[in-house]
Amino acid sequence: MSNVAWWCSSTGQVWTWRYTPFIGVWLVAGGLIGGYVLAHRRAGQPLERRRLRAWCLGVLALFLVSEWPIGQLGAGYLATVGIARYIVYSFVAAPLLLTGVPTWLVDRWLPFGSRRQRVMSTLTRWPNALLVFNAVLFTTHVPGVVDTLKPSQLGSFTIDILHVTAALIWWWPALRREPERNAIQEPVRAFYLFASSVLMFVPAAFLTFNPLPLYGLYELAPPLWLGFNAIQDQQAAGIVMNIVGGFVLWGIIATLFMRWAKEQERSDDLAMRERSRRTLEAMRAAGPPGDDVDPQVGQPTGQ
Amino acid sequence: MTLRRLLPPLLALALIAGACAPTTATAISAQGLPRQADGWHGVPLEVERDMPDVTLLDTAGDEVDLREATAGTPTLLFFGYTSCPDICPIHMAVIASAMEQARVSTDTVQVVFVSVDPERDTPERIDEFLAHYNHRFLGLHGDLDVVADALGQLDLPGPVVEGADPRGEGDLIGHPAQVIGFDADGQAQRVWPFGARRSDWVLDLPRIVDEWSAGDAT
Repeated sequence: MSNVAWWCSSTGQVWTWRYTPFIGVWLVAGGLIGGYVLAHRRAGQPLERRRLRAWCLGVLALFLVSEWPIGQLGAGYLATVGIARYIVYSFVAAPLLLTGVPTWLVDRWLPFGSRRQRVMSTLTRWPNALLVFNAVLFTTHVPGVVDTLKPSQLGSFTIDILHVTAALIWWWPALRREPERNAIQEPVRAFYLFASSVLMFVPAAFLTFNPLPLYGLYELAPPLWLGFNAIQDQQAAGIVMNIVGGFVLWGIIATLFMRWAKEQERSDDLAMRERSRRTLEAMRAAGPPGDDVDPQVGQPTGQ
Repeated sequence: MTLRRLLPPLLALALIAGACAPTTATAISAQGLPRQADGWHGVPLEVERDMPDVTLLDTAGDEVDLREATAGTPTLLFFGYTSCPDICPIHMAVIASAMEQARVSTDTVQVVFVSVDPERDTPERIDEFLAHYNHRFLGLHGDLDVVADALGQLDLPGPVVEGADPRGEGDLIGHPAQVIGFDADGQAQRVWPFGARRSDWVLDLPRIVDEWSAGDAT
């Protein structure tokens, strides 16, 4: 096949519905699945169904938006699809991948005391993670950066890798539950996620309200249909970032918060039951109820 | 092999593939036109050229003397065809949108589209094509030798068949990719090659109105 490529990029070629396989996407997806299974096998650990499903869904999300046609359309033809790819990388693939990694594998990849662990530990402290994620978000949406990098396969690949990496770092403190690995608890977690959703409004607003197309590569790309309007495409991209990205993120924030609330409720319930059990035991130990037991606290008032 | 071991060769492969990727037309043009020393984005012409002295047909079938029809109004002239997959629709969309943004109407700057594909470009098709952008753009067509004559008067090459359209819509036709700007006196002043963006036109259009209109033409 003459049209095989490594990674999607803005080629300036006329769009056709002729399949273009991206070798790099297949290799990365295969490497992620194969590496995951091999890591389990080497460690002699069984594959947990729930985590395996999350990992595979994460890889599938990465694959679908990087392979033809979505990868190609997003890299070189439609800003809307380009932003949709970013949303999927950041808010679908990255959290699924992180959820799929068991604690023992994190310990194996990032053993305590190693340089890797120290770097990762610094990056995933929540203020740093927030900074990294937003720095990547803003930098990779600057018109000069997009117009310079996306026309080459290497540049486009770099942008995609940056998006996934920054999202993994950002999700880390919110999704990993190991306290010694920078896990944050509610309500800080809700604030942390919410802060990013608000910051995302800034580039989204630039896309939605700029009267001129920001990105030359989308403005000058061969149109997919006659009368294609690059400004409307850009406005739609801003709306996708704002509304769709916001809905996905807020949906996740709400789910995590409700799960936390439920856990809190359950642990409160357990604590109450434990208290009642102890009270009951104390009452039994003290003999039949009489004037010497304070009904308010359930404790004997006299020795 | 673990992911850790797979990653370096994958990255190396990406680097090699990326480094070998050809520089595309988009890569060159995506940044827009460079600003000229005099502040314009359109490129000044070094030789004097007049509006071609040819007679074509408009989409109603009436004869149009190009020189007469454009006299007195700055004009942007473009040779293209309606089946064009890239340059023609992009130029038309960019100019139409920039005129809207800069609040410049076709009464003050005329836009003329001359078809280089008389076989496929029927009057209805030209009308339909231009209606996607601005129905007040003037669509003209004529025999191929008349169109070639008009191009020749501007020292531009005539249209050539370049091979099959990858979308399966007949042949691709090679044609000059620049928009030529004429002042109200019919003198060619500047060209805007493919790659001109809305932001370039938004800056140049008011200057066209100010400096090239009747009585102001330099």
